[in-house]
Amino acid sequence: MAARPSGPNGFPVQLAALGKDYGHFTALKALDLSVHPGVSLGFLGPNGAGKSTTIKIMTNLIRPTRGQATLFDIDVRRDPVRALSRVGAVIETPEFYGYLSPLETLAYAGRLRGMARKDIRARSEEVLKEVRMGEWAGRRIQEFSKGMKQRLAIAQALLHEPDLLILDEPTSGLDPRGMAEIRDLIKSLTGRGRTVFMSSHLLGEVQEVCDEVALLNHGELLVQGSVRDLSRGSGASTFQATFLAPPSEEDLSTLAATPGVQALKRVGDGAVDFTITGGEAAQAEVLEAMVRRGMRVTSYRPLGSPLEQLYLDRIQESDRI
Amino acid sequence: MIKDEISQVLTVAAYEVRKYLRSRRLIGMVVILGLIIGLILGLPPALGSKYPSQPNNFVGTFAGFTGILVILCGTLFAADALVSEHEKRTGYFLFPNPVRREVLVLGKLLASLFTSAAVLTLYYLVVTIAALAATGAASWEIGLSYAYALAYTGAVVGIAYVLSSVLRSTVAATVLTFFLFLLIFNIIGALLFVGKVDPWFIPTSASGIISNVLAPPTEGPPGPFRQFVPDAATSLLVFAAYFVAGSIVAILLFRRRELSS
Repeated sequence: MAARPSGPNGFPVQLAALGKDYGHFTALKALDLSVHPGVSLGFLGPNGAGKSTTIKIMTNLIRPTRGQATLFDIDVRRDPVRALSRVGAVIETPEFYGYLSPLETLAYAGRLRGMARKDIRARSEEVLKEVRMGEWAGRRIQEFSKGMKQRLAIAQALLHEPDLLILDEPTSGLDPRGMAEIRDLIKSLTGRGRTVFMSSHLLGEVQEVCDEVALLNHGELLVQGSVRDLSRGSGASTFQATFLAPPSEEDLSTLAATPGVQALKRVGDGAVDFTITGGEAAQAEVLEAMVRRGMRVTSYRPLGSPLEQLYLDRIQESDRI
Repeated sequence: MIKDEISQVLTVAAYEVRKYLRSRRLIGMVVILGLIIGLILGLPPALGSKYPSQPNNFVGTFAGFTGILVILCGTLFAADALVSEHEKRTGYFLFPNPVRREVLVLGKLLASLFTSAAVLTLYYLVVTIAALAATGAASWEIGLSYAYALAYTGAVVGIAYVLSSVLRSTVAATVLTFFLFLLIFNIIGALLFVGKVDPWFIPTSASGIISNVLAPPTEGPPGPFRQFVPDAATSLLVFAAYFVAGSIVAILLFRRRELSS
Protein backbone atom coordinates (compact mmCIF):
# COMPACT_ATOMS: atom_id res chain seq x y z
CA MET A 1 0.00 0.00 0.00
CA ALA A 2 1.23 3.52 -0.79
CA ALA A 3 2.60 5.61 2.04
CA ARG A 4 0.35 8.31 3.41
CA PRO A 5 1.14 11.89 2.41
CA SER A 6 3.66 13.75 4.55
CA GLY A 7 4.99 17.30 4.44
CA PRO A 8 6.46 19.09 1.39
CA ASN A 9 9.97 17.78 2.09
CA GLY A 10 8.57 14.25 2.20
CA PHE A 11 9.86 13.34 5.66
CA PRO A 12 7.54 12.38 8.51
CA VAL A 13 10.60 12.65 10.77
CA GLN A 14 13.49 15.00 10.27
CA LEU A 15 16.09 15.67 12.94
CA ALA A 16 18.60 18.40 12.19
CA ALA A 17 21.74 18.82 14.33
CA LEU A 18 19.64 17.75 17.30
CA GLY A 19 21.46 17.91 20.62
CA LYS A 20 20.74 17.69 24.32
CA ASP A 21 22.96 18.43 27.30
CA TYR A 22 22.19 17.63 30.92
CA GLY A 23 24.57 19.96 32.73
CA HIS A 24 28.05 18.91 31.62
CA PHE A 25 26.82 15.60 30.19
CA THR A 26 26.02 15.51 26.50
CA ALA A 27 23.29 12.94 25.88
CA LEU A 28 22.92 13.82 22.21
CA LYS A 29 25.57 15.60 20.14
CA ALA A 30 24.21 16.74 16.77
CA LEU A 31 21.93 14.13 15.31
CA ASP A 32 20.90 14.39 11.67
CA LEU A 33 18.34 11.81 10.66
CA SER A 34 15.40 11.56 8.25
CA VAL A 35 12.73 8.92 7.86
CA HIS A 36 10.82 8.56 4.59
CA PRO A 37 7.05 8.03 4.56
CA GLY A 38 5.94 4.42 4.94
CA VAL A 39 9.34 3.33 6.23
CA SER A 40 9.80 1.47 9.46
CA LEU A 41 13.05 2.58 11.08
CA GLY A 42 14.73 0.69 13.90
CA PHE A 43 16.62 3.01 16.22
CA LEU A 44 19.39 0.95 17.76
CA GLY A 45 22.07 1.61 20.31
CA PRO A 46 23.35 0.51 23.71
CA ASN A 47 22.02 1.93 26.97
CA GLY A 48 22.87 5.62 27.26
CA ALA A 49 23.35 6.02 23.51
CA GLY A 50 20.75 8.80 23.32
CA LYS A 51 17.77 6.85 21.92
CA SER A 52 15.27 7.77 24.63
CA THR A 53 16.52 11.36 24.69
CA THR A 54 15.83 11.62 20.96
CA ILE A 55 12.36 10.14 21.32
CA LYS A 56 11.53 12.39 24.25
CA ILE A 57 12.52 15.46 22.24
CA MET A 58 10.41 14.22 19.32
CA THR A 59 7.38 13.88 21.60
CA ASN A 60 7.89 17.19 23.40
CA LEU A 61 8.68 15.66 26.78
CA ILE A 62 12.04 17.42 26.90
CA ARG A 63 13.55 20.40 25.07
CA PRO A 64 16.55 20.13 22.78
CA THR A 65 19.62 22.14 23.74
CA ARG A 66 20.35 22.70 20.05
CA GLY A 67 19.02 21.71 16.65
CA GLN A 68 15.51 20.93 15.59
CA ALA A 69 13.09 18.01 15.47
CA THR A 70 10.34 18.28 12.89
CA LEU A 71 7.45 15.88 12.34
CA PHE A 72 5.67 16.34 9.01
CA ASP A 73 7.57 19.63 8.59
CA ILE A 74 6.31 21.04 11.89
CA ASP A 75 8.84 21.96 14.56
CA VAL A 76 7.90 20.01 17.68
CA ARG A 77 9.26 22.73 19.96
CA ARG A 78 7.43 25.60 18.27
CA ASP A 79 4.10 23.95 17.59
CA PRO A 80 3.82 20.70 19.54
CA VAL A 81 0.05 20.51 19.17
CA ARG A 82 0.13 20.39 15.35
CA ALA A 83 3.35 18.37 15.23
CA LEU A 84 1.93 15.62 17.44
CA SER A 85 -1.56 15.53 15.93
CA ARG A 86 -0.61 12.80 13.41
CA VAL A 87 1.60 10.91 15.83
CA GLY A 88 0.93 7.98 18.14
CA ALA A 89 3.61 7.32 20.75
CA VAL A 90 4.61 4.74 23.31
CA ILE A 91 7.42 6.02 25.51
CA GLU A 92 8.98 3.56 27.93
CA THR A 93 6.13 1.74 29.70
CA PRO A 94 3.81 4.58 30.56
CA GLU A 95 1.71 4.49 33.67
CA PHE A 96 -2.00 5.04 33.29
CA TYR A 97 -4.58 6.38 35.70
CA GLY A 98 -5.38 3.38 37.88
CA TYR A 99 -8.93 4.56 38.54
CA LEU A 100 -9.82 4.39 34.82
CA SER A 101 -10.53 1.37 32.62
CA PRO A 102 -8.86 0.89 29.22
CA LEU A 103 -12.05 2.09 27.51
CA GLU A 104 -12.11 5.24 29.65
CA THR A 105 -8.39 5.81 29.08
CA LEU A 106 -8.83 5.57 25.32
CA ALA A 107 -11.87 7.87 25.54
CA TYR A 108 -9.69 10.40 27.39
CA ALA A 109 -6.99 10.26 24.72
CA GLY A 110 -9.57 10.35 21.93
CA ARG A 111 -11.37 13.36 23.35
CA LEU A 112 -8.09 15.24 23.82
CA ARG A 113 -7.44 14.54 20.13
CA GLY A 114 -10.88 15.86 19.17
CA MET A 115 -12.28 12.52 17.98
CA ALA A 116 -16.06 12.08 17.80
CA ARG A 117 -17.57 9.94 20.57
CA LYS A 118 -18.85 7.22 18.24
CA ASP A 119 -15.45 7.01 16.51
CA ILE A 120 -13.74 6.73 19.90
CA ARG A 121 -16.04 3.88 20.88
CA ALA A 122 -15.61 2.00 17.61
CA ARG A 123 -11.84 2.49 17.41
CA SER A 124 -11.34 1.65 21.09
CA GLU A 125 -12.99 -1.72 20.65
CA GLU A 126 -10.96 -2.31 17.50
CA VAL A 127 -7.54 -1.45 18.96
CA LEU A 128 -8.16 -3.26 22.23
CA LYS A 129 -9.01 -6.35 20.21
CA GLU A 130 -5.85 -5.86 18.14
CA VAL A 131 -3.66 -5.84 21.25
CA ARG A 132 -5.65 -8.71 22.82
CA MET A 133 -7.10 -6.58 25.62
CA GLY A 134 -10.74 -6.80 24.61
CA GLU A 135 -11.82 -8.80 27.62
CA TRP A 136 -10.15 -6.31 29.99
CA ALA A 137 -11.78 -3.26 28.41
CA GLY A 138 -13.94 -2.41 31.39
CA ARG A 139 -11.59 -3.35 34.25
CA ARG A 140 -9.69 -0.79 36.34
CA ILE A 141 -6.07 -0.41 35.21
CA GLN A 142 -4.80 -0.54 38.80
CA GLU A 143 -5.15 -4.34 38.56
CA PHE A 144 -2.99 -4.62 35.42
CA SER A 145 0.47 -6.13 34.99
CA LYS A 146 3.31 -4.32 33.18
CA GLY A 147 2.66 -6.35 30.03
CA MET A 148 -1.01 -5.40 30.02
CA LYS A 149 -0.12 -1.74 30.45
CA GLN A 150 2.28 -2.04 27.53
CA ARG A 151 -0.51 -3.47 25.35
CA LEU A 152 -2.77 -0.62 26.41
CA ALA A 153 0.00 1.86 25.60
CA ILE A 154 0.16 0.46 22.08
CA ALA A 155 -3.64 0.60 21.80
CA GLN A 156 -3.74 4.29 22.74
CA ALA A 157 -0.98 5.01 20.24
CA LEU A 158 -3.05 3.38 17.47
CA LEU A 159 -6.42 4.84 18.49
CA HIS A 160 -6.49 7.81 16.11
CA GLU A 161 -4.89 5.90 13.21
CA PRO A 162 -1.73 8.00 13.26
CA ASP A 163 0.49 8.44 10.22
CA LEU A 164 3.60 8.15 12.37
CA LEU A 165 4.16 5.78 15.26
CA ILE A 166 6.99 6.53 17.68
CA LEU A 167 7.70 3.47 19.78
CA ASP A 168 10.27 3.29 22.54
CA GLU A 169 10.99 -0.39 23.30
CA PRO A 170 7.44 -1.42 22.32
CA THR A 171 7.79 -5.06 23.39
CA SER A 172 9.29 -4.28 26.78
CA GLY A 173 7.50 -6.16 29.57
CA LEU A 174 5.77 -8.60 27.23
CA ASP A 175 6.08 -12.37 27.28
CA PRO A 176 7.45 -14.10 24.12
CA ARG A 177 3.97 -14.63 22.69
CA GLY A 178 3.04 -11.00 23.37
CA MET A 179 6.28 -9.84 21.73
CA ALA A 180 5.50 -11.86 18.60
CA GLU A 181 1.95 -10.45 18.47
CA ILE A 182 3.14 -6.87 18.77
CA ARG A 183 5.83 -7.44 16.13
CA ASP A 184 3.16 -8.77 13.76
CA LEU A 185 1.00 -5.77 14.54
CA ILE A 186 3.81 -3.31 13.77
CA LYS A 187 4.60 -5.14 10.53
CA SER A 188 0.97 -4.91 9.49
CA LEU A 189 1.01 -1.17 10.18
CA THR A 190 3.92 -0.51 7.86
CA GLY A 191 2.10 -2.64 5.33
CA ARG A 192 -0.76 -0.15 5.63
CA GLY A 193 1.50 2.78 4.75
CA ARG A 194 2.28 4.04 8.24
CA THR A 195 5.70 5.29 9.19
CA VAL A 196 7.26 3.69 12.27
CA PHE A 197 10.15 5.03 14.34
CA MET A 198 11.03 2.31 16.81
CA SER A 199 13.82 2.06 19.35
CA SER A 200 14.79 -1.38 20.56
CA HIS A 201 17.58 -3.32 22.18
CA LEU A 202 16.49 -6.45 20.34
CA LEU A 203 18.38 -6.72 17.07
CA GLY A 204 16.35 -9.69 15.91
CA GLU A 205 13.16 -7.73 16.49
CA VAL A 206 14.44 -4.78 14.47
CA GLN A 207 15.63 -7.07 11.69
CA GLU A 208 12.20 -8.72 11.54
CA VAL A 209 10.06 -5.59 11.75
CA CYS A 210 12.05 -2.74 10.22
CA ASP A 211 13.08 -1.73 6.71
CA GLU A 212 15.80 0.63 7.89
CA VAL A 213 18.17 0.88 10.79
CA ALA A 214 19.87 3.85 12.44
CA LEU A 215 22.65 3.01 14.88
CA LEU A 216 23.45 5.44 17.65
CA ASN A 217 26.23 5.50 20.25
CA HIS A 218 27.47 8.22 22.60
CA GLY A 219 24.82 10.56 21.20
CA GLU A 220 26.10 10.23 17.63
CA LEU A 221 24.66 8.53 14.56
CA LEU A 222 27.08 5.81 13.45
CA VAL A 223 25.22 4.46 10.45
CA GLN A 224 21.81 4.57 8.78
CA GLY A 225 20.60 2.42 5.92
CA SER A 226 18.30 -0.38 4.86
CA VAL A 227 18.48 -3.56 6.90
CA ARG A 228 19.26 -5.54 3.75
CA ASP A 229 22.13 -3.30 2.60
CA LEU A 230 23.67 -3.08 6.03
CA SER A 231 23.39 -6.84 6.56
CA ARG A 232 25.11 -7.47 3.23
CA GLY A 233 27.84 -4.96 3.78
CA SER A 234 28.61 -6.01 7.29
CA GLY A 235 32.19 -7.28 7.01
CA ALA A 236 32.73 -10.75 8.44
CA SER A 237 30.06 -13.22 9.56
CA THR A 238 30.51 -16.20 11.84
CA PHE A 239 29.02 -19.52 10.69
CA GLN A 240 29.01 -22.82 12.50
CA ALA A 241 29.07 -26.13 10.64
CA THR A 242 28.46 -29.47 12.33
CA PHE A 243 29.49 -32.77 10.80
CA LEU A 244 28.48 -36.39 11.15
CA ALA A 245 32.14 -37.30 11.79
CA PRO A 246 34.84 -35.00 13.19
CA PRO A 247 36.73 -33.29 10.32
CA SER A 248 40.39 -34.21 9.81
CA GLU A 249 43.26 -31.72 10.00
CA GLU A 250 43.54 -31.97 6.21
CA ASP A 251 39.86 -31.09 5.83
CA LEU A 252 40.38 -28.03 7.99
CA SER A 253 43.50 -26.91 6.05
CA THR A 254 41.58 -27.20 2.79
CA LEU A 255 38.63 -25.25 4.16
CA ALA A 256 40.95 -22.59 5.61
CA ALA A 257 42.28 -22.02 2.10
CA THR A 258 38.79 -21.51 0.63
CA PRO A 259 38.28 -17.91 -0.60
CA GLY A 260 36.43 -15.83 2.01
CA VAL A 261 37.44 -17.91 5.03
CA GLN A 262 39.23 -15.53 7.36
CA ALA A 263 39.59 -17.95 10.25
CA LEU A 264 38.25 -21.25 11.48
CA LYS A 265 38.19 -22.94 14.83
CA ARG A 266 37.30 -26.46 15.89
CA VAL A 267 34.49 -26.43 18.48
CA GLY A 268 34.10 -29.78 20.21
CA ASP A 269 34.30 -33.01 18.23
CA GLY A 270 32.03 -32.47 15.28
CA ALA A 271 31.70 -28.68 14.86
CA VAL A 272 33.75 -25.89 13.31
CA ASP A 273 33.24 -22.09 13.52
CA PHE A 274 34.14 -20.13 10.36
CA THR A 275 34.73 -16.40 10.12
CA ILE A 276 33.74 -15.60 6.54
CA THR A 277 34.07 -12.37 4.59
CA GLY A 278 32.56 -11.70 1.18
CA GLY A 279 28.87 -12.01 1.96
CA GLU A 280 26.41 -14.65 0.82
CA ALA A 281 28.51 -15.81 -2.19
CA ALA A 282 31.49 -16.63 0.00
CA GLN A 283 29.24 -18.37 2.55
CA ALA A 284 27.85 -20.59 -0.24
CA GLU A 285 31.36 -21.33 -1.52
CA VAL A 286 32.48 -22.59 1.89
CA LEU A 287 29.51 -24.95 2.04
CA GLU A 288 30.27 -26.20 -1.48
CA ALA A 289 33.90 -26.81 -0.48
CA MET A 290 32.79 -28.99 2.44
CA VAL A 291 30.49 -31.03 0.20
CA ARG A 292 33.21 -31.38 -2.48
CA ARG A 293 35.54 -32.89 0.12
CA GLY A 294 32.86 -35.42 1.00
CA MET A 295 32.37 -34.03 4.49
CA ARG A 296 28.90 -34.99 5.74
CA VAL A 297 27.40 -31.70 6.93
CA THR A 298 24.49 -31.98 9.34
CA SER A 299 24.00 -28.20 9.84
CA TYR A 300 25.43 -24.92 8.60
CA ARG A 301 24.09 -21.80 10.27
CA PRO A 302 25.09 -18.23 11.10
CA LEU A 303 26.09 -17.50 14.69
CA GLY A 304 24.32 -14.21 15.31
CA SER A 305 22.82 -12.14 12.53
CA PRO A 306 24.83 -9.99 10.13
CA LEU A 307 23.12 -7.00 11.68
CA GLU A 308 24.34 -8.09 15.08
CA GLN A 309 27.85 -8.33 13.70
CA LEU A 310 27.55 -4.86 12.22
CA TYR A 311 26.15 -3.55 15.49
CA LEU A 312 28.97 -5.01 17.54
CA ASP A 313 31.66 -3.88 15.09
CA ARG A 314 30.39 -0.31 14.90
CA ILE A 315 29.77 0.04 18.61
CA GLN A 316 33.23 -1.34 19.43
CA GLU A 317 34.82 0.96 16.88
CA SER A 318 32.91 3.94 18.29
CA ASP A 319 33.85 2.99 21.88
CA ARG A 320 37.55 2.87 20.89
CA ILE A 321 37.36 6.42 19.53
CA MET B 1 -8.48 26.49 17.78
CA ILE B 2 -9.77 28.26 20.90
CA LYS B 3 -12.92 26.10 20.77
CA ASP B 4 -10.76 22.97 20.62
CA GLU B 5 -8.70 24.13 23.57
CA ILE B 6 -11.76 24.95 25.65
CA SER B 7 -13.03 21.47 24.87
CA GLN B 8 -9.66 20.02 25.96
CA VAL B 9 -9.75 22.04 29.21
CA LEU B 10 -13.21 20.66 29.97
CA THR B 11 -12.09 17.10 29.13
CA VAL B 12 -9.09 17.32 31.45
CA ALA B 13 -11.29 18.83 34.18
CA ALA B 14 -13.91 16.06 33.82
CA TYR B 15 -11.30 13.31 34.17
CA GLU B 16 -9.68 15.05 37.16
CA VAL B 17 -13.03 15.27 38.93
CA ARG B 18 -13.50 11.56 38.18
CA LYS B 19 -10.12 10.98 39.85
CA TYR B 20 -11.25 12.75 43.02
CA LEU B 21 -14.51 10.81 43.03
CA ARG B 22 -12.95 7.41 42.47
CA SER B 23 -9.97 7.89 44.76
CA ARG B 24 -12.49 8.46 47.57
CA ARG B 25 -11.00 11.84 48.46
CA LEU B 26 -14.31 13.54 47.85
CA ILE B 27 -16.13 10.98 49.98
CA GLY B 28 -13.49 11.51 52.68
CA MET B 29 -14.18 15.24 52.64
CA VAL B 30 -17.94 14.65 52.87
CA VAL B 31 -17.32 12.44 55.91
CA ILE B 32 -15.27 15.25 57.53
CA LEU B 33 -18.12 17.69 56.77
CA GLY B 34 -20.57 15.28 58.37
CA LEU B 35 -18.40 15.03 61.49
CA ILE B 36 -18.04 18.81 61.86
CA ILE B 37 -21.74 19.44 61.31
CA GLY B 38 -22.76 16.52 63.50
CA LEU B 39 -20.55 17.65 66.40
CA ILE B 40 -21.64 21.31 66.26
CA LEU B 41 -25.31 20.37 65.99
CA GLY B 42 -25.18 17.48 68.43
CA LEU B 43 -23.05 18.86 71.27
CA PRO B 44 -25.22 21.77 72.54
CA PRO B 45 -28.35 19.62 73.13
CA ALA B 46 -26.17 16.88 74.63
CA LEU B 47 -24.62 19.39 77.03
CA GLY B 48 -27.98 20.94 77.84
CA SER B 49 -27.33 24.30 76.15
CA LYS B 50 -29.39 26.03 73.48
CA TYR B 51 -28.49 26.99 69.92
CA PRO B 52 -27.89 30.72 69.28
CA SER B 53 -31.11 32.48 68.39
CA GLN B 54 -29.63 34.68 65.63
CA PRO B 55 -28.79 33.03 62.28
CA ASN B 56 -25.45 34.86 62.03
CA ASN B 57 -24.38 33.64 65.45
CA PHE B 58 -25.59 30.15 64.65
CA VAL B 59 -23.66 29.97 61.35
CA GLY B 60 -20.66 31.78 62.89
CA THR B 61 -19.77 28.65 64.86
CA PHE B 62 -19.62 26.65 61.62
CA ALA B 63 -17.79 29.42 59.76
CA GLY B 64 -14.97 29.07 62.26
CA PHE B 65 -14.19 25.71 60.61
CA THR B 66 -14.48 26.93 57.03
CA GLY B 67 -10.81 27.93 56.90
CA ILE B 68 -9.62 24.42 57.76
CA LEU B 69 -12.05 22.94 55.23
CA VAL B 70 -10.64 25.17 52.52
CA ILE B 71 -7.09 24.12 53.46
CA LEU B 72 -8.12 20.45 53.32
CA CYS B 73 -9.72 21.02 49.91
CA GLY B 74 -6.52 22.64 48.62
CA THR B 75 -4.46 19.77 50.04
CA LEU B 76 -6.64 16.95 48.71
CA PHE B 77 -7.84 18.44 45.43
CA ALA B 78 -4.92 20.55 44.24
CA ALA B 79 -1.56 19.82 45.86
CA ASP B 80 -0.68 16.71 43.83
CA ALA B 81 -2.42 17.64 40.58
CA LEU B 82 0.70 18.54 38.59
CA VAL B 83 3.52 16.76 40.41
CA SER B 84 1.79 13.38 40.16
CA GLU B 85 2.02 13.41 36.34
CA HIS B 86 5.81 13.39 36.72
CA GLU B 87 6.21 11.27 39.80
CA LYS B 88 3.69 8.57 38.81
CA ARG B 89 4.83 8.70 35.15
CA THR B 90 1.31 9.22 33.83
CA GLY B 91 2.82 12.14 31.90
CA TYR B 92 4.24 9.57 29.47
CA PHE B 93 0.63 8.88 28.48
CA LEU B 94 -0.71 12.43 28.73
CA PHE B 95 2.01 14.72 27.38
CA PRO B 96 2.61 13.19 23.92
CA ASN B 97 -1.00 14.05 23.06
CA PRO B 98 -1.51 17.24 21.04
CA VAL B 99 -2.38 19.33 24.08
CA ARG B 100 -0.59 22.41 25.34
CA ARG B 101 0.69 22.21 28.90
CA GLU B 102 -1.23 25.35 29.85
CA VAL B 103 -4.43 23.60 28.75
CA LEU B 104 -3.61 20.72 31.08
CA VAL B 105 -2.97 23.10 34.00
CA LEU B 106 -6.17 25.05 33.33
CA GLY B 107 -8.21 21.84 33.14
CA LYS B 108 -6.76 20.60 36.41
CA LEU B 109 -7.27 24.01 38.05
CA LEU B 110 -10.88 24.02 36.97
CA ALA B 111 -11.37 20.55 38.48
CA SER B 112 -9.70 21.59 41.76
CA LEU B 113 -11.86 24.70 42.04
CA PHE B 114 -15.04 22.88 41.04
CA THR B 115 -14.52 20.05 43.51
CA SER B 116 -13.55 22.37 46.37
CA ALA B 117 -16.52 24.63 45.58
CA ALA B 118 -18.83 21.60 45.59
CA VAL B 119 -17.62 20.65 49.09
CA LEU B 120 -18.07 24.21 50.42
CA THR B 121 -21.46 24.55 48.75
CA LEU B 122 -22.64 21.38 50.44
CA TYR B 123 -21.31 22.63 53.79
CA TYR B 124 -23.00 26.02 53.57
CA LEU B 125 -26.21 24.49 52.21
CA VAL B 126 -26.54 22.10 55.14
CA VAL B 127 -25.57 24.81 57.62
CA THR B 128 -28.08 27.30 56.17
CA ILE B 129 -30.86 24.70 56.33
CA ALA B 130 -29.85 23.99 59.93
CA ALA B 131 -29.90 27.74 60.70
CA LEU B 132 -33.39 28.02 59.21
CA ALA B 133 -34.55 25.08 61.29
CA ALA B 134 -32.94 26.28 64.52
CA THR B 135 -33.52 30.06 64.31
CA GLY B 136 -36.30 30.31 61.74
CA ALA B 137 -34.23 32.71 59.62
CA ALA B 138 -31.25 33.09 57.34
CA SER B 139 -29.23 36.16 56.43
CA TRP B 140 -27.39 37.56 53.46
CA GLU B 141 -24.19 37.56 55.54
CA ILE B 142 -24.24 33.75 55.30
CA GLY B 143 -24.10 34.12 51.52
CA LEU B 144 -21.24 36.61 51.85
CA SER B 145 -19.32 34.25 54.12
CA TYR B 146 -19.78 31.51 51.50
CA ALA B 147 -18.57 33.83 48.73
CA TYR B 148 -15.49 34.79 50.79
CA ALA B 149 -14.79 31.10 51.42
CA LEU B 150 -14.87 30.47 47.67
CA ALA B 151 -12.48 33.36 47.08
CA TYR B 152 -10.11 32.01 49.77
CA THR B 153 -10.25 28.62 48.04
CA GLY B 154 -8.91 30.30 44.90
CA ALA B 155 -5.92 31.61 46.84
CA VAL B 156 -5.20 28.23 48.47
CA VAL B 157 -5.51 26.38 45.15
CA GLY B 158 -3.28 28.92 43.39
CA ILE B 159 -0.49 28.47 45.93
CA ALA B 160 -0.97 24.67 46.00
CA TYR B 161 -0.46 24.62 42.21
CA VAL B 162 2.80 26.54 42.49
CA LEU B 163 4.09 23.95 44.98
CA SER B 164 2.80 21.15 42.77
CA SER B 165 4.66 22.52 39.76
CA VAL B 166 7.93 22.96 41.69
CA LEU B 167 8.24 19.96 43.98
CA ARG B 168 9.28 16.48 42.89
CA SER B 169 7.10 14.36 45.15
CA THR B 170 3.36 14.26 45.74
CA VAL B 171 3.90 13.69 49.47
CA ALA B 172 6.10 16.79 49.75
CA ALA B 173 3.58 18.91 47.82
CA THR B 174 0.65 17.67 49.91
CA VAL B 175 2.36 18.02 53.30
CA LEU B 176 3.85 21.42 52.49
CA THR B 177 0.53 22.81 51.24
CA PHE B 178 -1.22 21.63 54.39
CA PHE B 179 1.34 22.97 56.85
CA LEU B 180 1.93 26.18 54.92
CA PHE B 181 -1.66 27.22 55.51
CA LEU B 182 -2.23 25.54 58.82
CA LEU B 183 0.99 26.65 60.49
CA ILE B 184 3.54 28.63 58.54
CA PHE B 185 1.30 31.45 57.27
CA ASN B 186 -0.28 31.76 60.71
CA ILE B 187 3.13 32.06 62.37
CA ILE B 188 4.25 34.66 59.83
CA GLY B 189 0.98 36.58 60.32
CA ALA B 190 1.37 36.55 64.10
CA LEU B 191 5.02 37.65 63.94
CA LEU B 192 4.21 40.47 61.55
CA PHE B 193 1.45 41.67 63.84
CA VAL B 194 3.79 41.60 66.83
CA GLY B 195 6.19 43.64 64.70
CA LYS B 196 3.36 46.16 64.19
CA VAL B 197 2.85 45.21 60.54
CA ASP B 198 -0.73 44.37 59.62
CA PRO B 199 -0.67 40.96 57.90
CA TRP B 200 -3.37 41.89 55.36
CA PHE B 201 -1.36 40.21 52.57
CA ILE B 202 -1.06 36.83 54.35
CA PRO B 203 -3.90 34.64 53.01
CA THR B 204 -4.71 32.97 56.33
CA SER B 205 -4.92 36.37 58.05
CA ALA B 206 -7.07 37.72 55.22
CA SER B 207 -9.35 34.68 55.54
CA GLY B 208 -10.66 36.14 58.80
CA ILE B 209 -13.36 37.85 56.73
CA ILE B 210 -15.15 34.48 56.32
CA SER B 211 -16.29 34.44 59.96
CA ASN B 212 -15.97 38.18 60.66
CA VAL B 213 -18.81 38.94 58.26
CA LEU B 214 -21.12 36.93 60.54
CA ALA B 215 -19.83 38.26 63.87
CA PRO B 216 -17.88 41.48 63.31
CA PRO B 217 -15.01 41.74 65.82
CA THR B 218 -13.48 44.91 67.13
CA GLU B 219 -9.81 45.76 66.98
CA GLY B 220 -9.80 46.48 70.67
CA PRO B 221 -7.78 49.22 72.30
CA PRO B 222 -4.37 50.11 70.88
CA GLY B 223 -1.63 48.13 72.53
CA PRO B 224 -0.75 44.49 73.11
CA PHE B 225 -4.40 43.35 73.06
CA ARG B 226 -5.22 44.90 69.68
CA GLN B 227 -6.22 42.27 67.11
CA PHE B 228 -5.95 42.41 63.33
CA VAL B 229 -9.30 42.75 61.59
CA PRO B 230 -9.01 42.18 57.85
CA ASP B 231 -10.89 44.42 55.47
CA ALA B 232 -13.19 42.49 53.09
CA ALA B 233 -12.31 44.37 49.89
CA THR B 234 -8.57 44.17 50.55
CA SER B 235 -8.80 40.48 51.44
CA LEU B 236 -10.70 39.68 48.25
CA LEU B 237 -8.03 41.45 46.23
CA VAL B 238 -5.35 39.50 48.10
CA PHE B 239 -7.13 36.20 47.34
CA ALA B 240 -7.51 37.15 43.68
CA ALA B 241 -3.83 38.12 43.48
CA TYR B 242 -2.69 34.80 44.96
CA PHE B 243 -4.98 32.87 42.64
CA VAL B 244 -3.96 34.71 39.46
CA ALA B 245 -0.25 34.88 40.30
CA GLY B 246 -0.21 31.27 41.52
CA SER B 247 -1.93 30.00 38.38
CA ILE B 248 0.38 31.92 36.05
CA VAL B 249 3.52 30.82 37.89
CA ALA B 250 2.27 27.20 37.92
CA ILE B 251 1.62 27.30 34.16
CA LEU B 252 5.06 28.78 33.44
CA LEU B 253 6.86 26.26 35.65
CA PHE B 254 4.86 23.30 34.37
CA ARG B 255 5.58 24.32 30.76
CA ARG B 256 9.30 24.42 31.45
CA ARG B 257 9.44 21.21 33.45
CA GLU B 258 10.84 18.25 31.52
CA LEU B 259 9.70 14.66 31.87
CA SER B 260 13.06 12.97 31.93
CA SER B 261 12.93 10.52 34.83
